[in-house]
Amino acid sequence: MSPNMFYLLASILFSIGLIGLVSRKNLFVLYMSIELMLSSVSLILATLSKVLGNADGSVMGLLIIGIIAAEAAVFLAMIVNLYRAKRTLDSDAFNSLREGAFND
Amino acid sequence: MINWIVILPFISALVMGIVYLADTKAKRYFFYTAVGVGTPLVMTILSFVLISQLMNGAVTIHGTLFQWIDIGDFNISLAFMADRLSAVMISFITFIGMLIHIYAAGYMKDEEGYGKFFAYFNLFMGSMALLVLSDNPIMMFVGWELVGLCSYLLIGFYHQDRANIKAANKAFILNRVGDFGFIMAIAMLFVSLGNTGFTFESIQANIHTLSPEMMTLIGFLLFVGAMGKSAQIPLYVWLPDAMAGPTPVSALIHAATMVTAGVYMVARYSFLYVEVPDVGIFIATIGAASALFAAIIASYQTDIKKILAYSTMSQLGYMFIAVGLGAYSAGIFHVFTHAFFKALLFMGAGAVIIALHHEQNIFKMGALKKHLKLVYITMFIATLAISGIPPFSGFFSKDAILVAAFSSEHYVIWGIGTLTAGLTAFYMFRMLFTVFYSQEKADHTLQKLPSSMTYPLVILAIGSATVGLLGINEAYGGTSWINTFLALPDLKFHLSFAVEYMLTALNVTLALLGMGLAYKLFASHATEPETHTLWKNVVINKFYIDEIYEFLIVKPLLLISWLIAKVIDPRIFDGFINLNVWLYKKAGFVFGKLQNGKVRYYALYILTGVSAISYYMLMELGVR
Amino acid sequence: MLEVSIFAILALFMLGGSIAMITSKQTVFSAFGFLVTMIGLGGMFALLNSQFLAIAQIMVSVGAVVILSMLTILTVNAKEENLPKEPHKYKWIMFSILLVTPFTILLYKTLIILPDHFSTIGTINAKVVGKLLFSEWVLPFEILSILLLSAMVGAIVIARKKRKRPGKKERRA
Repeated sequence: MSPNMFYLLASILFSIGLIGLVSRKNLFVLYMSIELMLSSVSLILATLSKVLGNADGSVMGLLIIGIIAAEAAVFLAMIVNLYRAKRTLDSDAFNSLREGAFND
Repeated sequence: MINWIVILPFISALVMGIVYLADTKAKRYFFYTAVGVGTPLVMTILSFVLISQLMNGAVTIHGTLFQWIDIGDFNISLAFMADRLSAVMISFITFIGMLIHIYAAGYMKDEEGYGKFFAYFNLFMGSMALLVLSDNPIMMFVGWELVGLCSYLLIGFYHQDRANIKAANKAFILNRVGDFGFIMAIAMLFVSLGNTGFTFESIQANIHTLSPEMMTLIGFLLFVGAMGKSAQIPLYVWLPDAMAGPTPVSALIHAATMVTAGVYMVARYSFLYVEVPDVGIFIATIGAASALFAAIIASYQTDIKKILAYSTMSQLGYMFIAVGLGAYSAGIFHVFTHAFFKALLFMGAGAVIIALHHEQNIFKMGALKKHLKLVYITMFIATLAISGIPPFSGFFSKDAILVAAFSSEHYVIWGIGTLTAGLTAFYMFRMLFTVFYSQEKADHTLQKLPSSMTYPLVILAIGSATVGLLGINEAYGGTSWINTFLALPDLKFHLSFAVEYMLTALNVTLALLGMGLAYKLFASHATEPETHTLWKNVVINKFYIDEIYEFLIVKPLLLISWLIAKVIDPRIFDGFINLNVWLYKKAGFVFGKLQNGKVRYYALYILTGVSAISYYMLMELGVR
Repeated sequence: MLEVSIFAILALFMLGGSIAMITSKQTVFSAFGFLVTMIGLGGMFALLNSQFLAIAQIMVSVGAVVILSMLTILTVNAKEENLPKEPHKYKWIMFSILLVTPFTILLYKTLIILPDHFSTIGTINAKVVGKLLFSEWVLPFEILSILLLSAMVGAIVIARKKRKRPGKKERRA
């Protein structure tokens, strides 16, 4: 078992998260893709912790989990708010800041 | 004190201009006359003081106003220098100028733009003084251009008539063409010699450091400027048209002063021209050709002022023969005498024109001898002078020129000059006889001439008769006083007195022959020439030179201008700019579409960028 | 050998879960995929001897975050028609895969520069983590607590229903 496997897995997970971020319109899927990206980073950190032999990586992973929690709160509150405003979970519906939006 | 000669007319022109502009209709006759005529009077007195100072032993008199340009080596001050050449020039310019101003006060009395006229006239006097008295080539060029400007302003004085405006434009444009050569010459002089100071004295001191080719080129280009200013072939076509201006203008500018600026310039640069005699021969040839050419045309002209215009061109040709062959003093002497009798001729012609209510065709005048006695006598004296009949002034100066031509062994030039002398006598007496003798033509309710127009005629007649004595050369018992006074680097001629007497006899005989021929043809019965033969046709139409110029030069220029303005400019330049505008609009439109406000797309753009960079890093940089 | 097979199984779980997450139409299915992925991740952490991290992952990420998102999904309760229509979903995904591949390769190639073998280390249990957390990493720890506080407050503010104030109409007149 070598760290390379973990690296490969983490890279693939990161790109899957990126794909989901770009491709899907659903706000929840957007959110979950972001979380996935963060989690892949914490996987790398944990791997490194074992490679280098000290626990710093683990601690960093712990802190990242804390951040994930905070982000979850804010993000989900925002989704609730947005749904209340426009009654849709389509990220394309929120396009006021575009070219020609303020012309009238 | 020398500064005042130049500053005073500018100040008076400014004052008169302001007063005139304050109310263009007010007839402030006394004010304009007082300022307008008083200024040249003061200038004359000052120039005589200058001459007396020089005769008492001063070599040159300097005066400086202020430093105009000071850039590295290029230091030009508004400074004046009166050496003997300038002093002689300025004294007769101011003197004759003053007389013509008095004359003009009478001639232009009822004109609406009286104040404007005198403002321009004084401006001209100032410019001419600047030209003659400046101590460096740049200032002389400023004066050169200014006299061209005044010429334009004054020719187009009767600006309501379109033909006058065209004539004024023609004068200025042809002048400008000549000035192109002049500027190049000054630039080359500066490039070669500028680092040692740029006044005439310093240039004269350093002239030997130039290569002969450079000096030839500079001399040639300077003469190109003179060709335009002094109406020689090929840049002469403006002079006959310039007669559209009022007669005092023709008298002052196109007879006595401005057109002689070219001759003065060659004399001023005599230290250059003595080194390159080939350019001098070229100058003399052009002068001879112009003299003969103008004399032929003048023999068939019918307008009294045009006859005099061609006569001026012809006499200028003589002056250039002189300075071209190295006889600088003879040339300047002819300038001096010519100013007297030519101004007199023009003023007399003006008097006749006014008397006959602005009639200018000589064949409509006749037998004015008994009605305009004073004008007749003075013009007779002037015609004798111009024909070179002794002891009038023209004889001595013309004789000096022809002697110089003969003794420097340029026999062709001498031959042309002598032939032209005979022709000069012919056409001048033709004019005199047709106007004053001949049969009665017009209805003679003559306008009364004011005395301000007749007294100057008398003074100039006395001058034409006597100033020749200043330059009598040794063959006749004189001392060539003016030659020694001017101290120019003349070539010395050695001619035995016998040959000189023979030449003089030849000249006088030809002149008398011309006079006699004119008497026979015109004194009793003068008719307008009709265009029967081809030769007459060509000559009367001035050899069609104007038409040739129009065809060869003016029309192609107009065509090119039309092409650029109507075809190239709108289509190519504007089209190019419009293309750019359209491109930008389209690009903006496309880029605008990218900003659609959807987050997903923005994330996609980021991803695209990241992907491109990673691709680049993988492939090009070879990340292992 | 054992570890490799455990890794393989967990990796399969994670990949399958994440792919399900990004491709399914129903939101709840995506949430389930996410859940599976997070559990797999916890397993990964355990495999890497980070015991405390594994437990923390299960507790927080799975137990709090995923449950919270499911709660929100079900609270929002979007009807079928309010879900976004994504006609070209698979086209977009294909295109993104194309774009993402160089980046992934780059990432992987960068990461394998790092040292290649695991060192022997005991399990990183709560004691070790606790010691580090309160000595070297105390500043990030405190900042994280402030972050959590502000996130909490922010979430409450954002998600609050706007209640109309009773006296507003009188004030305008």
